[in-house]
Amino acid sequence: MSPFALLAATGTATVPIDAASAAAAIPAAIARPELAWAGWILWLPAISAILCTACAAFRVKGKLPAWITIGLLGIASVLVFALYGRVDGPTTIHLFDWIDIAWTGRGPDAPREGIVASFAFYVDGLSLLWMCFVVPLGTLIALYASEYMEPDVGRGYPRFFAGVSIFLFAMSCLVLGDNLVLLYLGWEGVGFASYLLVGYYYTKPSAVAAAKKAFIVNRVGDLGLALGIFLIWLNYGTVEYDGLFHALAASGGEGEAGWSVRAIPFLLMLAAFGKSAQLPLYVWLPDAMEGPTPVSALIHAATMVTAGVYLIARTYPLFHLDPLALPLVAWVGGLTALFAATIGMAQHDIKRIMAYSTISQLGYMFLGLGAITAYGAVYHVFTHAFFKAVLFLTCGAIMHGFAGQLDLRKLSGLAWMPGWRVVAWTMLVGCLALAGFPGLSGYFSKDLILAEAFVSSETRPGWGYAFLGWLGLATAAMTAYYAFRVWFRVCAGPVHFEPGDEAHDAAEDHGGHDGHADHAGHAAAGHDDHGGHGSGGFHPHAPRLAINGVLVILAIGAVLAALPCFIGGDAAHPGWVEWMAARSSAASGVPPHDVHAHPAAFFGLDPHKAMYYVSAVFGIVGLSIAAWLHLLDRGAADRLRNALLAHPLLRWIPLGAERKWYVDELYDIVIRMPLWFLGHVLGFIDRYIVDGLLVDGIARIPRFFGRFIQPLQNGVLQGYAVAMAGGIAFIVAGVVVLFWIWRLGA
Amino acid sequence: MSVAPVLLAQADAAGAAAVTLARLILVVPEMVLLTGAVVATILGLSRSRALRDATPAAVVISLLAAMLLVPLVHTPERAEAAGLLMPMLGKPVRMAICAIGAMLCLVSIGLVDRRIEAAFASGRAAFDPIRVIRGEYYAFFLLSVTGLMLVSTANDLIWLFLALELTSLPTYIMVAISRPSRRALEAAVKYFFLGALATATFLYGFAMLYGAAGTLILTEMRDVFAAQAAAGGLGILAVLGLILAILGVAYKIAAAPMHFYAADVYEGAASPVTAFLAFVPKAAGMLALMLLLGTVGWHGHSVVDDSGARIFHDGLPRAVLYALWIIAAMTMTLGNVGALLQSSAKRMLAYSSIAHSGYMIIGLIAGPGLGLNSVLFYLLAYGVMNTAAFAILAGLERQGEEIESLADLAGLARRHPLLAAAMAISAGSLIGLPPLLGFWGKLYLFIGGIQAGQIGLVIIACINSAISAWYYLRLVGLPLLSPPTPQAEAVVPTPSIWPRVAALSGAAAILLLPLLVQPLVEAAQGATSATPADFAVVLRGAGAPAP
Repeated sequence: MSPFALLAATGTATVPIDAASAAAAIPAAIARPELAWAGWILWLPAISAILCTACAAFRVKGKLPAWITIGLLGIASVLVFALYGRVDGPTTIHLFDWIDIAWTGRGPDAPREGIVASFAFYVDGLSLLWMCFVVPLGTLIALYASEYMEPDVGRGYPRFFAGVSIFLFAMSCLVLGDNLVLLYLGWEGVGFASYLLVGYYYTKPSAVAAAKKAFIVNRVGDLGLALGIFLIWLNYGTVEYDGLFHALAASGGEGEAGWSVRAIPFLLMLAAFGKSAQLPLYVWLPDAMEGPTPVSALIHAATMVTAGVYLIARTYPLFHLDPLALPLVAWVGGLTALFAATIGMAQHDIKRIMAYSTISQLGYMFLGLGAITAYGAVYHVFTHAFFKAVLFLTCGAIMHGFAGQLDLRKLSGLAWMPGWRVVAWTMLVGCLALAGFPGLSGYFSKDLILAEAFVSSETRPGWGYAFLGWLGLATAAMTAYYAFRVWFRVCAGPVHFEPGDEAHDAAEDHGGHDGHADHAGHAAAGHDDHGGHGSGGFHPHAPRLAINGVLVILAIGAVLAALPCFIGGDAAHPGWVEWMAARSSAASGVPPHDVHAHPAAFFGLDPHKAMYYVSAVFGIVGLSIAAWLHLLDRGAADRLRNALLAHPLLRWIPLGAERKWYVDELYDIVIRMPLWFLGHVLGFIDRYIVDGLLVDGIARIPRFFGRFIQPLQNGVLQGYAVAMAGGIAFIVAGVVVLFWIWRLGA
Repeated sequence: MSVAPVLLAQADAAGAAAVTLARLILVVPEMVLLTGAVVATILGLSRSRALRDATPAAVVISLLAAMLLVPLVHTPERAEAAGLLMPMLGKPVRMAICAIGAMLCLVSIGLVDRRIEAAFASGRAAFDPIRVIRGEYYAFFLLSVTGLMLVSTANDLIWLFLALELTSLPTYIMVAISRPSRRALEAAVKYFFLGALATATFLYGFAMLYGAAGTLILTEMRDVFAAQAAAGGLGILAVLGLILAILGVAYKIAAAPMHFYAADVYEGAASPVTAFLAFVPKAAGMLALMLLLGTVGWHGHSVVDDSGARIFHDGLPRAVLYALWIIAAMTMTLGNVGALLQSSAKRMLAYSSIAHSGYMIIGLIAGPGLGLNSVLFYLLAYGVMNTAAFAILAGLERQGEEIESLADLAGLARRHPLLAAAMAISAGSLIGLPPLLGFWGKLYLFIGGIQAGQIGLVIIACINSAISAWYYLRLVGLPLLSPPTPQAEAVVPTPSIWPRVAALSGAAAILLLPLLVQPLVEAAQGATSATPADFAVVLRGAGAPAP
């Protein structure tokens, strides 16, 4: 198969997987009312949010909110594992009725219609898998934040933990809900929590702007979700997954489907692209890094941004309604992966690099979904949650210790500094996993997706899956490069550092400041004496037990996350994650295949086997380039950049990548400017035409009639009495007339 | 069918005593409230400032105690034994009334006696029990709430009449003493005289109903009217009596053509009392209408066609239906059009509360099942969101005077972001924006209306909802978007924080109660069904006319 299948094969037939048979493959859910205690997985975070809000209201000093949150979330995690042990196959757990509206049309045979959305759980392999990392990770990150947010104790501290608790409540609703309305509630809830937490440093204009941007960009996707749910209800008469899959299975597939059915996957896709930061709606995620780092790790790396993947995996049968749907998902994912990686290679702020890396990795997951390997996508979600959380939390520890310093040019040799070894080595584990270094978790999950892309190029030719596979491989090399660019710069090399701009007030005010003027001064001061161990009187404070402990646990998790690829399942599905995914809607429509008998889609080789070697080579190439440019000869990177800048035809590469390909500027011109202009035009119309002519004109009508009604509403008692008596007389006379003339009651 | 007539027919002393005992136990919560009223009177006259300040606490405690007692005393067996028309109506309704009553009490804390207390505190005046009115105010407050609660357990027309008057009479005085201004007195006098006219109207109606049915007991009236309807249709006396009763009670709910007083009275009273007027008498009127319409029922009525054949139809008797239809349409439209061009926030909310009565009448027309359930649900939603909106007005003042005009709210978000947010939430809910509480209220009302075939009325209600957005959005836009004017800069919170607490808890309820929509509607379902058997019929969705 040619790697450029895209060019060769266009418009050829696809392998039809019809939605009906895909949905029919999902077993009907069993109601298990005895598991109602699982509701506490929702209620515990909710109680925690209420208690933390109370702490904020009573201005509690101290770390009480953190302990409340960690304790309650810890219990919720235990409940998640308890639930895991008691559920086998799709199960619904009914908590209480929420919306149950039924109406009948006129006439005896009119069909009974309505909408039912209960507070109920739909528990299967997919939702359990998600819960298994969402709640425990939330607990661990809350533990990390108990130390990280220390400078805010007595101020924003309870607010922060209330936000985290709201997030976990909403995320649990989203994942566990047994219907799309509950999912929508959670979807909006996590967006709201994200808004609160990104804008946590609300005195900082950039944080407020980032929070607004995240919220507003997500509106576009949420519109898609709302319309998608409307159409699902309209076509299938239910929003509950179990009923939906049943109705879909009974519907007979895509053959005669009209536009309102075919539009569903595209609308849901739009929602997923918004929440999971894919092209063209990814722009909010890098800015969301304005929030405290534990938030970036939890919400904007490990959990919330994977909600889009969850949505598609959950409603996977619907994505077979239109043959274009899954290839589009794959293309958007593949392009986003590459695009974000190119930007990530050129950034200097390590947290931003991680943000672009998250977008890029999410791109892989969508590529996996689009290549009909929801298993690969879900596995990548699982491994990514661990290693990306490690990476963000190490960035946070560095930011915390170096007074907000995140510029990789101003930090070096962390691994050799006392107190920073845990951070440096756990970061190495995270980077290796991210880079897909052989043997680590990211390596296996990424290979699954890439291999399946090549398999799909064979089973569904004509959609350019092979091209996407090559894009993914190129991205893998870039990923290794930027991951190790960070590690070699920050953790390896000679020891030297400059504190960030929070040095002047790190002791009393962590974050909530807007001292850009101070920044220049401190940076300059740092330059003067950075030859030695740091600048002036600044001493980085190394992380203590809570941060280091969480980092070690998560790093071990990131390593061990490779195991579920091979163990923990049954005979047909050797890996635990595959076994979990296979028992859920994510497996529907996936052609049953023998793991050992793939089409020889990759130059005559089994792609799954070949990919182990090929992607390892790509990863090591990227890693080696990073080692050369950022460890062995750090000047070379600058020389390369200058050489490119000097070249008239190539200077756009470094310029564009550093300026994020000018996408924000493009959106400004294409979207914001027309809206701004439209706003002014409408404002003008409102002020001079609507207000000036219409409203004043319309206002004359009541005033005109008012002259006649005035005697009635003039405050004179007798007038009111007469009006009331007149009204009574009118209605009574009317009734008498009706009674006699039409004999209505007789 | 209730067992009460059977019990009464036996006429043996033991049976009658059992009925009386059941009724007495049913109204234990009301007795608690009356006790609270007495305690409030005494506390309000106390020499100690601390004790005087504890008066509202006594009110809130007695309301909460009554709320906890209601589920204990209102068991299905006892309600059945007491022979009520809608046996379980009193349970969820009285609990909701107590909760909203407590919220209303919070709103009115710090309202009366402010100047005189300041004078006492500064030593400009010696304490004089004649000059403090706090005791009276809170006692009347509780008396009125007691009347409202009694309406829900009324089993005959006399009880209903007395309960309605117990609801209304204290409110006349509350309006008069709510603030030391001539406008309050003027409002009270208007309210009283027009109220007397309305009372005369529905009393006339009650008399005619008695003449038509030969009994005052609601369950017996239902049986008599059912027999008449089956035998050849209700007589003109019954229909006219019902129409007059409806028109008289329409005064309590401020429905057209009995709504004229509303704007003047609501504006003249102090904001906490306005909030009270907009809920307590209105709820009493709605419950009374529900019981009155329940006597004729929504089934088994007929019209006669040209050939003289009787055609049975669903729903109320046609004459009553048309009267209610006109009242609903006029009420909604007049309320919303009246609110459109107001510059006073209070007057605007007053007109808009007229419109909400119009929406609720749709549910009354629709009848058992979704219709009546949605009326009860809407009453709860309306009580919470309207009280929250008024509580914000009550929680703000300018130079010691309560704020009235919309302009006073300009730029509120800059200085009091929480209050502005609460105002936005209440206004959104009053419009009926999803996912707030008001949306669910309207959704159920409209579905109930559509199911009952009242599509025309529902369309009018939808248009009116759209109109209402126009003025309600000013309550959102002015606080959030407008720059503060010098006039609005002078607006400060009242010394008492309790109105603001009520506003914020109301806003929280608007946000959180939607999570409990179905349990609340099911509670309403249990409340409006005549008997457990009816309940089952309604749940199955059967609506065939009775044979």
